[in-house]
Amino acid sequence: MKNWWKILAVILMSYSVIAGLLTPLSPAMRHLDNNVAQANTTFQCTIQGYNTEFKKVNTPPRAWLQRDSAFALCASNIQILSDKEMKLTFDIPAKVITEGSKEDFDLIVDTDHDGSMVLPDAILVKQDSSSAMLIPSCTIADLNIGSRSFTFPYRPIIEETIRNLYFHVSLWFAMVLLLMLSLYYNIQYLRRGLLLDNIRSSELIRISVIFGILGLITGALWAKYTWGKYWSWDLRQTTAAIVVLIYLAYFVLRDSFEDLDKKARISAVYSIFAFFAMIPLMFVIPRLQGADSLHPGAGGNPAFGSNDLDNTMRMVFYPAVIGYTLFGLWIAQLWYRVEKLKLKMLEID
Amino acid sequence: MPSFVIGSLPLCFVNLWTSTYHLLKKEVTLEWRQKFTLSGVILYVFSTVFVVYLSFVTVQIQVWNTLFWIIMMFASTNAIMKSFIQENGTRQLYYYTLVPPTAVILSKIIYNVFLLTLIGLITYFLFIIFAEDVVRHRALFLLTIFLGSVGFSIVFTFVSAIASKASNGATLMAILSFPIIIPILTMLIQLSANAVGMVQNTAYWKDIGILISIDAILLVIVFILFPFLWKD
Repeated sequence: MKNWWKILAVILMSYSVIAGLLTPLSPAMRHLDNNVAQANTTFQCTIQGYNTEFKKVNTPPRAWLQRDSAFALCASNIQILSDKEMKLTFDIPAKVITEGSKEDFDLIVDTDHDGSMVLPDAILVKQDSSSAMLIPSCTIADLNIGSRSFTFPYRPIIEETIRNLYFHVSLWFAMVLLLMLSLYYNIQYLRRGLLLDNIRSSELIRISVIFGILGLITGALWAKYTWGKYWSWDLRQTTAAIVVLIYLAYFVLRDSFEDLDKKARISAVYSIFAFFAMIPLMFVIPRLQGADSLHPGAGGNPAFGSNDLDNTMRMVFYPAVIGYTLFGLWIAQLWYRVEKLKLKMLEID
Repeated sequence: MPSFVIGSLPLCFVNLWTSTYHLLKKEVTLEWRQKFTLSGVILYVFSTVFVVYLSFVTVQIQVWNTLFWIIMMFASTNAIMKSFIQENGTRQLYYYTLVPPTAVILSKIIYNVFLLTLIGLITYFLFIIFAEDVVRHRALFLLTIFLGSVGFSIVFTFVSAIASKASNGATLMAILSFPIIIPILTMLIQLSANAVGMVQNTAYWKDIGILISIDAILLVIVFILFPFLWKD
């Protein structure tokens, strides 16, 4: 079948939208009503769960306060108030910290239904004097995985907006792939001189610019929810906007020529030059040490660590990238045909 | 590869260098004869710096640094715009019958590097007179001016070659070159922030390396693409 890839584009795009929007987030702790504890007292706090179903547990839940990999405290009493609320009680002994007078402890809660949940540096424990004498640690073992396996990870602040990854990042990936293809066609045009190659390339750039603008918009919306502002002059935001500007200028350049061959030749030269000027912009500068960016992947880190994209998300993200790329190709092909027909009409005239 | 290509390679390079040399000499002679272009640019820089400091009165180091490069960038655009736009088509056609096209762009790039370095030094001099000399590492700052001139020269000369083909050259020059120049400009401002002592970054050699590699990539691309551009 000739048009299988168009069907694939529709399937993958619909899959990424449906799976991306309907898959629940994994159960997590969202909020604590009390986060400062004093040594040698009984500490009580109520945790607020997100997407949790505490009432459905079969075995009693467990909870720990973990100082480091060597030491943890067990909860002395756990009371389930509702699906979303659980009251924890810890008897904190007099000596829990070896150095200094206070330290952040991680809170770990484990139930057989929701699996284990971690809230890093959740509770600040204060102690009058440090001591090397410690009571024995309570071991953390046999953590449950939980009954729901196909979930997206819960991240503080990002929360439900994590789904935007399948739109925002996929659009950027698709844009770069389509721009690479347009580069190929432009080089082919300069080598062989077939006007149609240049039109192909130009239509690919057109859809890439639209993807780029959509990527900017989805990014700005995401930024509003996570960073508080639509536009915060983040390094990646700026470079992305510049890339869009470069290619918008490309169309202004094209429109300033009447002669078809001149238009094609000069715009091809400019777009190849712009692509190679864009490489340091997109791939080098944001990765420099000391380059500050709010985006993950800045400051010398790889773009996707296990922190940003887990296996469940990959199962939606990669199909989304392929889907958007194929969809872009399809649209570009339609525009290309329109331009080709216009060219034919010119010949008839 | 056929033997005649290998045989003619050294000749082709000799041709490139000698033509570049002669074209460069022509540029300098032309500039010397019509002094108004150079003095025009110097006057442009002078009035800009004057107006800016008249409005600001005093500036902080950060503003000093940014202003320097912004003024430098606009002055460069103005200086380089004439490279291709001011030369008429018939004379260009005459060059292309005599010399390889790469010699044309190479001579203009080299000439513009000198011109921009000069403009940079003049701007710096005016900044010292009207404001103060905030530069702590003078060698690094002068090196930054030179590297900036190289980068600006490559991008602006090539874009002016593109823009000269269209009727609305001056507008195109701005919208085509400014987005492309931003990575270079960012690196330059970062480097000169080091030179004025705003940031203490001992790893500025890395920045210099990146700047040189951006320049090198663009120069190679310009060399490959320019032959496609000139023929009308």
